[in-house]
Amino acid sequence: MEKIIKIDNLSYNYGEGWILHNLSLEITKGDFLAVIGPNGAGKSTLLRLLANILEPTKGDIRIYDEPLDTFKHWEKIGYVPQNPARNQKDFPIKVREVVELGLVNSGNIFKSLKSKDLLKVNAIINKFYLEDLASKKLGELSGGQQQRVFLARAMVNNPEILLLDEPATGIDTEAKAELYQMLGDLSEQEGKTIIMVSHDLDLAVKYAKNAVCLDHGVCFFGDVKEALNHHHKHGYFYR
Amino acid sequence: MEIFALDFMQRAWIAGLIVAVICPLIGSFLVLRHQSMMGDGLGHIAFAGVAGGVLLGVGPVISGVVATVLGAIFIEKARTKLKDYGDMILAIFFYSGIALAIIFIGLNKTGGFNLSSILFGSLMTITTSDLWLIATLGVIASCFVVMLYRPLQYLVFDETSAKVAGLPINTLNMALTILTALTVALAMRIVGILLVSAMMVIPVACSLQTAKSFSGTILGGIGYGLFSVFSGLILSYYLNLAPGGTIVIVGTICFICSLVYKITNSKKITKETLENEPCAICAHSEATMGEKDES
Repeated sequence: MEKIIKIDNLSYNYGEGWILHNLSLEITKGDFLAVIGPNGAGKSTLLRLLANILEPTKGDIRIYDEPLDTFKHWEKIGYVPQNPARNQKDFPIKVREVVELGLVNSGNIFKSLKSKDLLKVNAIINKFYLEDLASKKLGELSGGQQQRVFLARAMVNNPEILLLDEPATGIDTEAKAELYQMLGDLSEQEGKTIIMVSHDLDLAVKYAKNAVCLDHGVCFFGDVKEALNHHHKHGYFYR
Repeated sequence: MEIFALDFMQRAWIAGLIVAVICPLIGSFLVLRHQSMMGDGLGHIAFAGVAGGVLLGVGPVISGVVATVLGAIFIEKARTKLKDYGDMILAIFFYSGIALAIIFIGLNKTGGFNLSSILFGSLMTITTSDLWLIATLGVIASCFVVMLYRPLQYLVFDETSAKVAGLPINTLNMALTILTALTVALAMRIVGILLVSAMMVIPVACSLQTAKSFSGTILGGIGYGLFSVFSGLILSYYLNLAPGGTIVIVGTICFICSLVYKITNSKKITKETLENEPCAICAHSEATMGEKDES
């Protein structure tokens, strides 16, 4: 299987010790990888490094064999930040406008949306069951609905890799299960590579393929069911 | 009608209406990024630039523009480095700008400086060249926003994801800041610091009370801006009031009205929703009763 993300000796610090230290990892195309581990272990940092939001202190990340600092094909990456609607309750933006933003990237900065782009937006709105909410203000939606909107934004350009930073934060159990089901389908049916920071090991076991447990470095990497066994034996994923 | 026939009033109308379009257009991005005081802060730096220019014998327009653009670049750089202290950085530039202006005015013993005109503008004494200047600025600002509408929308809504999408966010931020600086520096000497900075915030604040979409906020802001300038100029002409101040007060009254409308409307919607929504407990009891009847 093709390794599309290669992380080699990656280290990052915020000034007070290493958040990640000498982390090496290779991620296969089509994997649904749950990034798990205790609080402060560097899970979100890893995702932010992969999304090029942070710059590594040391080490190297390559996506499709291209170093991240010269990587140009950001349309192939979909990203959902942690709690994206946290400060956006009163922001005047409609659901449709949020989804349309997913089509904006460095390659079309001066271009307006064409009819084929609008078709893509309509298709993704239907796929994520957002038809009735499309003309509503984002702040009027529940947490689960908002997460679906951000996932739709990340997916509208049909990216090959999805980076999701705790997408189930702040949503109820039912919406959480729906979200995981949706991600499982994207991985199974469309072959998307999904890398997701998660605190829900039970749900991750049900839908993800592999898991990487971080504790500043990799403490486990392999089949997600094995990860659950390790957790029961050693209990070191969540301190 | 005399108010539209007199030459100086015609120029005041055109300048006022152009400012009513440009300021909310740029102000929408500032307000939504929680940088409502940016226009005011840059106005004080422009004030220092104009005062310094007069003192050094340099044209006040050039010195005002140079000082404001440089100030804006420093503010943007500092804001990027110290993300959590954006308002503090702005306050420091704000105070330093006005402090420098006071020092320059104190050092200037030759005069040639009209403080009142800088602070409050002089809509009634606008020349044709002033009009051309502000019209050119209007065209630049409109082209900038129209051409970069979606990237700017993305930047304001979710800067982190915009960066992941590969957008040049530092360049966009800088361009927006420089455009704000140019608007403040050029429009200030025509309509005054008060009107420029107020028109960047108040019409947008009015629009935000009812707008559901991003484009609706900008268009609504322009609408409120045009209404404020139109009504303010008419009132100031017939009641013999200062035009800049009257326009701002009209805008403030619009804001109070839109806020009251929003509050009463949201109460009405909540009441209607509660009345129309079936009570979950009653529905549960009815269902239980139905089951009992069947058995």
